[in-house]
Amino acid sequence: MAIIETADLRKVFRSVKRRPGVGGAIAALFSREYEEKAAVDGITMSLEAGELVGYLGPNGAGKSTTIKMLTGILVPTSGSISVADLVPHRQRLENAQNIGVVFGQRSQLYWDLPLRESFALLRSIYDVPRERFRENLDHFIEILDLDEFMDTPVRQLSLGERMRGDFAAAMLHDPKIVYLDEPTIGLDVVAKEAIREFITQLNRERGTTIILTTHDLADIERLARRVILIDDGTIIFDGPISRLREEYGTHRTLVITLADSYEDVQVEGADLESREGNVVRLRFDRRRTSAEALIRRAMERYALSDIAIVEPDIDSIVRRIYREGYTEGAIGSPS
Amino acid sequence: MSVVFSRPRFRLEPYVEFAKVAMAKEATYRFDVFTNIASVLVRVYILRTVWVALYAHNAAPSELPLHAVITYSTIAMLMSLVMDIDQTRILRDSLHDGSIVLDFTKPMRVPLYFIANGTGEVLFHAVLMIPALALALFFVHIDVPSFGTLAVFLVSFLLGYSVGFCINFILNCTAFWTLEITAVQFIVTWITDLVGGELVPLVLFPAALQNVLVVLPFAAMFSTPLLIYVGHIPPAQYAGALGLQAFWLIALGAVSVVMWRLGARRLVSQGG
Repeated sequence: MAIIETADLRKVFRSVKRRPGVGGAIAALFSREYEEKAAVDGITMSLEAGELVGYLGPNGAGKSTTIKMLTGILVPTSGSISVADLVPHRQRLENAQNIGVVFGQRSQLYWDLPLRESFALLRSIYDVPRERFRENLDHFIEILDLDEFMDTPVRQLSLGERMRGDFAAAMLHDPKIVYLDEPTIGLDVVAKEAIREFITQLNRERGTTIILTTHDLADIERLARRVILIDDGTIIFDGPISRLREEYGTHRTLVITLADSYEDVQVEGADLESREGNVVRLRFDRRRTSAEALIRRAMERYALSDIAIVEPDIDSIVRRIYREGYTEGAIGSPS
Repeated sequence: MSVVFSRPRFRLEPYVEFAKVAMAKEATYRFDVFTNIASVLVRVYILRTVWVALYAHNAAPSELPLHAVITYSTIAMLMSLVMDIDQTRILRDSLHDGSIVLDFTKPMRVPLYFIANGTGEVLFHAVLMIPALALALFFVHIDVPSFGTLAVFLVSFLLGYSVGFCINFILNCTAFWTLEITAVQFIVTWITDLVGGELVPLVLFPAALQNVLVVLPFAAMFSTPLLIYVGHIPPAQYAGALGLQAFWLIALGAVSVVMWRLGARRLVSQGG
């Protein structure tokens, strides 16, 4: 049964049209022209309970606007939303009880208070039964390693510590659905790993439904099985990450190290991607050319000291889609 | 429509907690506390000196003898300890830094959260009035009215405070549309000081001006409770004076609600 459903969801923002120059700025004080832009333009999606979905798109694609509508902060211009059988912007208070939110760029902790007191306040806001609160808190203190800074005012915490605190804060009331908006932004590798581990556990052990937006595709690769890619407010891909890789990650790279110096390096069935001294990178379409045949051809023509095949990472796949757009099935033309 | 569409069971507890936390937070700025009391005492002393000098060189107005005017300005300064606080600044701040978006993801009535926070801060400063009052009683001899008058004064003070709270809330609500409200706020504070009777009792103004000023909400904040305290408003006029204050409270309360709704509607349609 779907826990989150949207149908033809749209959000149009109206903004003041800026006119150039000082004259334009003064004229704008008296009369304003508006322009409209659809930040979200007809999004239909459906998430099952317990899913962990990566919600991706370039800056300004409409990710945050979608999340804001799902949390009930923004009223859609048209279309429908249902989150755990509630309409978020009509039933904001009830919906708030079901959801947890972590925005990487903002903290919901109280700046002047130690974590412990922020958590106590949240307990009271969400009306979490004391015993359940105690259990959750103990659990999060342990797995997020919060113990040493529970009594430090939030403003004195490092970004990594604060994020761990924010994660605990968002989960204390056992939300069914969690929205994570760039939760690992600005974190170092160790902190990122701790957060990813926490998200995995949350999803696996508590069955929490999670929507994750991020620009760090390692997050997606590590956490999500399904991705929804949006651009210009519309969904351009919705499916398992493996399919994205299959359809778009058709190009592999053969990296050869030449044993001798050769002028021009060319191997039939592959394009030269780059060459640095003796290291040559050749790009090929795995559906047209097999790696085995390519290697054989290369070895016939040149003396090689090393060979490697590089699989495309999700980063380069998504980069390519952002650049070229996604067309179902149309993956033939090499770039 | 407004963001708060449906209303599940209301619980007061979180708002009490918010107020407590805000109160405790104020208390951590201890240095502030001492400078606050000190500045009130200095102002009390200066005003007293000014009134004594003014009364010595001019014919004393029959409405307010010297001891009454000194009492008046001393109590006015004590009141300013709670009246001059920017109680709902947190609303402006969270609009400014965008954190209001997170406030809306919580199952709480956001305006009540802001109000609770402001109330907590104010309660702390109200407690400060007690030592300040004791010191004022010791240094400047002020009149202490009958118990009955004192009780009416307290009611009037509470009404005046609430009127001020609404004005502050309305001003901070304008941050939904424009983030630059410091100038407007400055002007309003200045007007309040001047025509609200905080610095100069309105009874000393020319009669024509007085007639206009006494019906304004600014007079409801300072002048009315103070004139009740010094006995210039006699018991026969209590009902009218408190009634006018109540009128302003209801009117400005209604404006506050409308401002919040319009602001929240803008927020939910235009984003944070």
